[in-house]
Formats: sequence, C-alpha cells, structure tokens
Amino acid sequence: MKEDELGGLKGLLREALPPVSEDGVPERDLWPAMLRRMDAKAAGSQFALWFDGALLAGLAGVVVVFPKAIPLLLYYL
Amino acid sequence: MKTHPYLRAYLAGIFVPTLMLPILLTVFIVARIGMQIPTPIEQVMIFPMAVVPSLFGLWNMAYLASQVRLPHAIGLHGAVLPLLMAPIGALVATSLNVMQFSANGLTWFQTCNIPYAWVAPGFVVAMAAYYLVWKYVVGTLNRVLGIA
Repeated sequence: MKEDELGGLKGLLREALPPVSEDGVPERDLWPAMLRRMDAKAAGSQFALWFDGALLAGLAGVVVVFPKAIPLLLYYL
Repeated sequence: MKTHPYLRAYLAGIFVPTLMLPILLTVFIVARIGMQIPTPIEQVMIFPMAVVPSLFGLWNMAYLASQVRLPHAIGLHGAVLPLLMAPIGALVATSLNVMQFSANGLTWFQTCNIPYAWVAPGFVVAMAAYYLVWKYVVGTLNRVLGIA
C-alpha cells in the first residue's frame, strides 16, 4: 500500500470517528446517561417480573377455581 | 458447542412436553383405573405423545430461524403456538372421540363439559400458560444450550 493511500485511509478514519479531546477525557460527563439507561432497563425488567407474576397468579387461580381444566391443560402441554 | 443449532433448538423445545407426558399419563391412569372415570386413555395419549413434543421442537426451531430477520421475544413466540395447536388438537380429539361438539358446548374426555362461552377465555389462559412456559423454561434451556 502506498504512502498516499495510507494517508487517505487515516484521513477517512479521522472523519468517521468523533474527535477526542487533548487529555483523553470526554467533553461531557457520560455517567448520568449511563445511570439513566440502567434505571430504565431495571424498571422494564421489574415491570416484566410483576406482569409475569400476575399471569402466574391468574393461572393458579383458574386452576383452583376450575380444576376440570387441569387435564385439558396437560393435554396441550 | 457451536454446531447443530437447530438440533439443539429442537431438543430444547421438546423438553417440556416430554417432561409432562408421564404426569399426564399418571393423571389419566389414576382417573381411569383408580377413580373409574371412563376416559379413553389410548386415544387421549396420541396427541400429547405424538404431536405436542414435535410441534414444540419445530416451533423452537422456527424461533431460532426467525431471530436473524425478525428478532422477537421468546415468550411472545410461545404465546402464538396455541393458535396453531388448538385447532390441530381439537381435530385429533374429535376424530378420536376424545372431544365431542354438543348443543351445550365441548365435551372433553367424555366427562368435562366446557360451554362455548368459555372457549375464548380458555384460549387466553392457554396463551398465558404458553407465554410463561416458553419464556422461563424453553428460553432458559435455549440459553443453557447456547442458542439464545
């Protein structure tokens, strides 16, 4: 690969990547955004847990109230 | 363990029905012999023994295949399965006299009468059960077998 091709590649890479400050520290604090993302993920999984728990409780309720449904449920599992 | 992902998907899929089969057999044998309920075990067992495990395995293979183009949650994928299984199960059950249509509703196993008004709620219950089974059992097995 010729020197001018290498130089062109370097230029393209510099254009593609965001500039980094002189001392290597990001221009803004990224930690709050990271915390927000983690909180959102945790809230989502917490909701899913509650939803699944409610579904399981509902199913248990159906089985208790309609025990005749048990053979039918087993038939399809 | 990177080879044969579809074989592993099939095996993970058939795990639950295969596990349920002895339980189902026990329930029907107790009902038939112990409690003298006239349940035709031989006809009843055909669908859960021959069709359900294969459908679960194939459905899990379909899930694996669909993840490349249309990634979606495994719980939702499992919840859709009753849409396919209910008609097939009803067809097999009707042809083997396990289920009869009557004016009052569906009669399963010659003992359990289900009014037509309960069919739709029953369907929702089945979808909920399948959602949980697929999310927590099949999904876990998929992760254990390295295909999730």
